[in-house]
Amino acid sequence: MNLLTTYQGQARRLTFLTMAGFILLPVAVAIWFGLTLGGGDTWSHILNNRLAPYTATTLGMLFLVAAQVLLIAVPAAWLVSRYKFPGRAIFNWALVLPLAVPGYVMAYVWAELSGVSGPFQTFIRDMTGLRARDYFFPDVYNLPGLSFVLATTLFPYVYITARAAFANQSLCTLEAARSLGASHYRTFWRVALPSARPAIVAGLALALMEAAADYGAADFLGIPTLGVGIVRAWNSFGEPATAARLALVLIAIAFAFMILEKVSRGQRGSQQTSSRWRSPEPQSLSRTNALLASAFCGVVLLVSFILPVGRLLWLSLELRAVTPDISGPLISTLLLASFGTILGLISAIALTLSGRGRSRQAGRLVTAAGYAAPGAVLALGAVLFLSSSNLSISGPFSLAILVWVYASRFTAAGSEPLQAALERAPKSLDHATRSLGATGFRRLLRVDLPLISPGLWAGLLILFVETLKELPATLMLRPFGWDTLAVEAYKYAADERLAQAVFPSLLITLAGLAPVLLLSWQMSRSRQVQ
Amino acid sequence: MKQILSATAFAALLLTACSQQTASDSAQPSQAASATASKSLQIYSARHYDSDKALYAAFEEQTGVRIDVREAKSDQLLETMKAEGQNSPADLIIAADAGAVWRFQDAGLTQGYVTPALEEQVPASMREAEGNWYGLSNRVRLVAYDPERISEDQVDEWVKLADPALQGEICVRSSSNIYNLSLMAELIDRLGEAEAQAWAEGVVANMARSPQGGDTDQIRAVAAGECSVAIVNHYYWSRLAASSLDRDTKTAEATALVIPSFGDGQGAHVNITGVAITASAEDPALAAQFVEFLLTESGQALLTSETQEVPLARLGKLDLPTGNSIAYTVSPTPLEAFGENQADAQRIYDLAGWN
Repeated sequence: MNLLTTYQGQARRLTFLTMAGFILLPVAVAIWFGLTLGGGDTWSHILNNRLAPYTATTLGMLFLVAAQVLLIAVPAAWLVSRYKFPGRAIFNWALVLPLAVPGYVMAYVWAELSGVSGPFQTFIRDMTGLRARDYFFPDVYNLPGLSFVLATTLFPYVYITARAAFANQSLCTLEAARSLGASHYRTFWRVALPSARPAIVAGLALALMEAAADYGAADFLGIPTLGVGIVRAWNSFGEPATAARLALVLIAIAFAFMILEKVSRGQRGSQQTSSRWRSPEPQSLSRTNALLASAFCGVVLLVSFILPVGRLLWLSLELRAVTPDISGPLISTLLLASFGTILGLISAIALTLSGRGRSRQAGRLVTAAGYAAPGAVLALGAVLFLSSSNLSISGPFSLAILVWVYASRFTAAGSEPLQAALERAPKSLDHATRSLGATGFRRLLRVDLPLISPGLWAGLLILFVETLKELPATLMLRPFGWDTLAVEAYKYAADERLAQAVFPSLLITLAGLAPVLLLSWQMSRSRQVQ
Repeated sequence: MKQILSATAFAALLLTACSQQTASDSAQPSQAASATASKSLQIYSARHYDSDKALYAAFEEQTGVRIDVREAKSDQLLETMKAEGQNSPADLIIAADAGAVWRFQDAGLTQGYVTPALEEQVPASMREAEGNWYGLSNRVRLVAYDPERISEDQVDEWVKLADPALQGEICVRSSSNIYNLSLMAELIDRLGEAEAQAWAEGVVANMARSPQGGDTDQIRAVAAGECSVAIVNHYYWSRLAASSLDRDTKTAEATALVIPSFGDGQGAHVNITGVAITASAEDPALAAQFVEFLLTESGQALLTSETQEVPLARLGKLDLPTGNSIAYTVSPTPLEAFGENQADAQRIYDLAGWN
């Protein structure tokens, strides 16, 4: 090994460590404050009055979300990947769409839809002449309601991973099961499900990580989860120490899911060693069963996407007159999302390129840690840091830190497509580059960047939309005049002016559709190539 | 490489931040760009209305003073200011509800500042004695009821809401909300703690459902027949009545309003949107100039048209979008009591089991 390559190796390691530090620092700051911040109430007071109830609520919410996500996503993925039924081709990609709707927007819409003067209840009263007290109609201002709202936007995580697992299951295993006389149900329960379990658990862990990070939906519905508790402890009770400790618990929960996801991803389904590797042809169903399958997927799509987004569209047309002037927030949103995207993309590129080879797993773990840390937690760390160093919470500094928090949170999302592009490149290319003596900047420009460029646009798009949707950190750190669309929607909704919240919510959702459609399209394309 | 790139990104970020500010600078009329061009006011506001933007723009045009606004919930503004301490850039605070404004005073974040104009234009009952804050408009907490099921004399006094005759009929939001805290603060002042406690228990026993949603949701619940009595601030009803949507106006039409008394022949529970000059304000005189501007006719019109609050000049007369109006007299309870009794109010609600 000559001197030059040693030097290069060191530069690469240095870049990697710098980037890892850059991403982990906000997380570390939050944890550090959680462990050390004194001056507030005693631990036992916090534990009894805040920590225990908030944690119990959060765990209850996560349990209900998990149950609903599994009940929706696994059957949907199984049906779509294994059977022919009317509409299958559409459901296949359309069931990913709910991912585009942020949890808080889903909460606003479902509160409106299911409220006493919402369309359903009005219809019931008009048809029957009953009054609202004469019948039961579920509302969403409670723990089950919150978990329902979150499950409807988060189930695609499991749908995606489960569908991929079911589609990749070895044909001969399933055929063997069927030829041995196992029924559809038995094949599903005894063969398909166990081998898809790691993928399902990985998807579920991601979904629950997102649910744990929610602030907007729980706050709007008035459910005291840890995310709400952190903001409230800081905002309403003036107890930064409590906030920091709640953040510590939330981050522990989120990291537990992150580790669960990593571990599950590493596991291989026991059946996947078969040499006859071919995606099974979808099977025909009896007429009744086919209709039932369509009905199931149809109801899922209706409830999770068509109804809420359709209602948003309807309301924004109906409420054109009261639509607020959102040009200011739109500019702030575009600027902030651009800053976040640029910084996130730079750190994603740097981390992906410097973290090749042995440090790749470490790199993924670093970005995952940033991603798992809820926005409210990172923002709290930043706020505590700013105030303890006597800096304004609303000055240009907080703007820079907000962008940093974005990058820390979303580098993981941005680097996924880059990693994928890099993995597709042949190993020999790397060797060829070296033997041809391309080094340093030249190598970066001529080889490395072109190599990851297929993933660049996807990474950019995902980063942009993630930053654009972000609520809690933006809410806590934005300086004067930097209200984003998400903040605007939140403020109006919190102020009982849902009418004005509708248009910003719709814009956020429509923007979110772009990367989701791209993702869906890329997945179906890679399936065809297979 | 990375350092260069991130430095560029950061520089770009700061540049854009500055250019945004200069953009709003250049939007001002050039004739004002002389002496006052460098002056600016930072406002922390718990309101977010398009009409407020027009309000600030009008002041900027008139004086050449630039206005920066940070809008957030008043709790968040309070904690932000506490954290910022003496470094806080805020010159003025605008918040809804005397109880909310009082919290800023209580935290030592306001300063007593009096000008002859302010003393003259804001009635003594609508401002803090030392000039720590001033009322800008009135908001009345009242009862919206279903006239087909309830008669007005069943709900025209606050104490009557605790009457078992109304069992299962009341819809109201959660007790942690500042509007309910201020109402209880006045009940404590007018009725005494024991009776206020009994009142809270009686209302809880009469609730049609556990507290959820905001004031508008309670009015809708009455219109839909889920309950017959809603405790709400008047402007939520006014906004429904003035809405462009049929279902909103129908909701308002299906309900009637009454401003309950305390049974003592004295005033009603009236609240304010308030403004305070901060302790850290660099130029309190300039800040006071802005407050005086809010009290001018055009300032008051912009302040209350979209929100449907009562301008100070119309004190005592609640004009509704339907053309009707309800007369009221202002309570003898000083607004400061809403703040001072706040902690007791929350404790009483908690004891009564009012979520």
